[in-house]
Amino acid sequence: MVKEERRIYYLFSPFLRIFHWIMAVSILVMFVSGLLITKPVYINALEPTYTLFLVDVTRSVHFLAAFVFCASLILRVYGYIINRGDRLFPRVLEGHFYSETVDVALHYMLLKKSHAPFLRNPLARMSYAGLYVMAAIEIVTGFAMYNMADPNTIGGFLFGWVNTVLGGEYMTHVVHHYCAWGIMLFVIGHIYMAIRADFMEGEGEISSMFNGTKLLEHEPKDACEVEPPKTK
Amino acid sequence: MEKRETMLESYLRRGLSRRTFIKGCVALTTMMGLSTDMVSKVVEAAEKKPLPVVIWLHGHECTGCDESFIRSGAPLASDLVLTNIALEYDHLLSAGSGEPFEHHLEETVKKYWGQYILAVEGAVSTTDNGTFCMSGGKPFVETLQRVAKGAAAIIAYGTCATDGGIQGAKPNPTGSAGIKHYTGTKPIINVPGCPPIPEVMTGVVMHVALFGKIPPLDSEGRPKQFYGNRIHDTCYRRPFFDAGMFADSYDDEGAKKGWCLYKLGCRGPETYNSCGNLRWYQGMSYPIQSGAACIGCSNAHFWDEGPMFARLPEYGPLGDIDKIGAGLAVATAAGVAVHAAASVVQKQQRDKDKENGKEQVGNK
Repeated sequence: MVKEERRIYYLFSPFLRIFHWIMAVSILVMFVSGLLITKPVYINALEPTYTLFLVDVTRSVHFLAAFVFCASLILRVYGYIINRGDRLFPRVLEGHFYSETVDVALHYMLLKKSHAPFLRNPLARMSYAGLYVMAAIEIVTGFAMYNMADPNTIGGFLFGWVNTVLGGEYMTHVVHHYCAWGIMLFVIGHIYMAIRADFMEGEGEISSMFNGTKLLEHEPKDACEVEPPKTK
Repeated sequence: MEKRETMLESYLRRGLSRRTFIKGCVALTTMMGLSTDMVSKVVEAAEKKPLPVVIWLHGHECTGCDESFIRSGAPLASDLVLTNIALEYDHLLSAGSGEPFEHHLEETVKKYWGQYILAVEGAVSTTDNGTFCMSGGKPFVETLQRVAKGAAAIIAYGTCATDGGIQGAKPNPTGSAGIKHYTGTKPIINVPGCPPIPEVMTGVVMHVALFGKIPPLDSEGRPKQFYGNRIHDTCYRRPFFDAGMFADSYDDEGAKKGWCLYKLGCRGPETYNSCGNLRWYQGMSYPIQSGAACIGCSNAHFWDEGPMFARLPEYGPLGDIDKIGAGLAVATAAGVAVHAAASVVQKQQRDKDKENGKEQVGNK
């Protein structure tokens, strides 16, 4: 048995953790139901009227998941406001951010054996920023399509411009669909990198999304961004 | 200025009764997409207002919009042209031709400066000073700019006039575009479609003619009463969509039974037009009713949004985004697996180094 001293950093508030999982589930639901809306399939369509698969229901599921996602996102933003540990944006304005990104990238390319310790490493922060952008695109294009069933409503007024900007509602559908695949690629990378970080560093990467804490051996470079650690 | 006839006078001159006139007004009201309590206003305007002068210019196009226009059933295009408006210039419908005809255009523009309605069909060709589209010895773009200056309002008929249409499709060798950038600050009504529905064409011009006002427009400058709904949301096949009953090809059982054409690339869900409720040729049919998927002809760039008979754009042998996305996901997963294996090796090395007392470099 190896005895080792580690510091416990409390990072993620319940707002981030709970809504992370709710959003994860709703993203999966939206992805699958979205693909089914684009290319509907028959299930048990001996008598079409009694098919188990109703596009109407699929759309409702998709819309429900979308509203759950947006509500969760709003509460997750609340977590961002009240808890410093929830702030995951890349520190692009700080010079050392770029050298640290290169450092982490070299490690991920297996050219370096390890990278400097971080609470939230710069490359991960960049990928989250990319995810936020994609989520924002999905939200505005999604509401643009959803609300334009009646362009005269407030929703049509708030989101109708998206169709004009993209050059037509067809392009809105296409962008929405392409972006969904982008998010799926993120999901694969995200799950793998989380498991890998836990395996390589043993810092509690995965459990941090349940209990909010990470266990670090050395002082991380972005330690100043959160409350001082408890030492175990 | 000479006195111009009102619509009532024009009816009476032709020996039609006032009763016929009122009936015509009722038809006009419904056709303009107005509620029936507007009938009295329509009658009032038709009794008092002189017939509006209309100049109808044709640009870079196929005149298919006119072909649609002359098939208007309520009112008949002939009634509209002969009794409801004073159509002074129109390439396709005019009896005159040649120099006297061109001269008449100039005279009309001068005489009714600031009063006439300008209807435009066709795109504006801009490459090489617009010489790809000449009319009466002048590039169309010049004629348009000159005539537009004196117009009270402008109606852009057809997708060519609103957004360039097929001439404006990639690679667009003639530099064609919609007319809106060449008409200054004049109010413009976009009536897209390839062609627009006949009754929509007559309805819009009558609205402007009778009320002297532009109908309520949406964010893309289209009259709300005709372009306020998606075809998908007004389609009589929509219940089949909701129930998941689709035609998978044009000759399968679903197509014969008249199920939803969504899987065949129908653009109904992205297209705003009156096909679903007004339909064509006095409610006879519309493309989807005839068993063809909507191609979204009233969308600005529909020629470039192909393939028209598939839901998503396709990239040659790579297929559409679903195929590409699935391929990328598999490739990413494979990359992840390789990377994971390499990471295991790396970790073993690292642990060995640690045992030997060498601290990791990066942690310093």
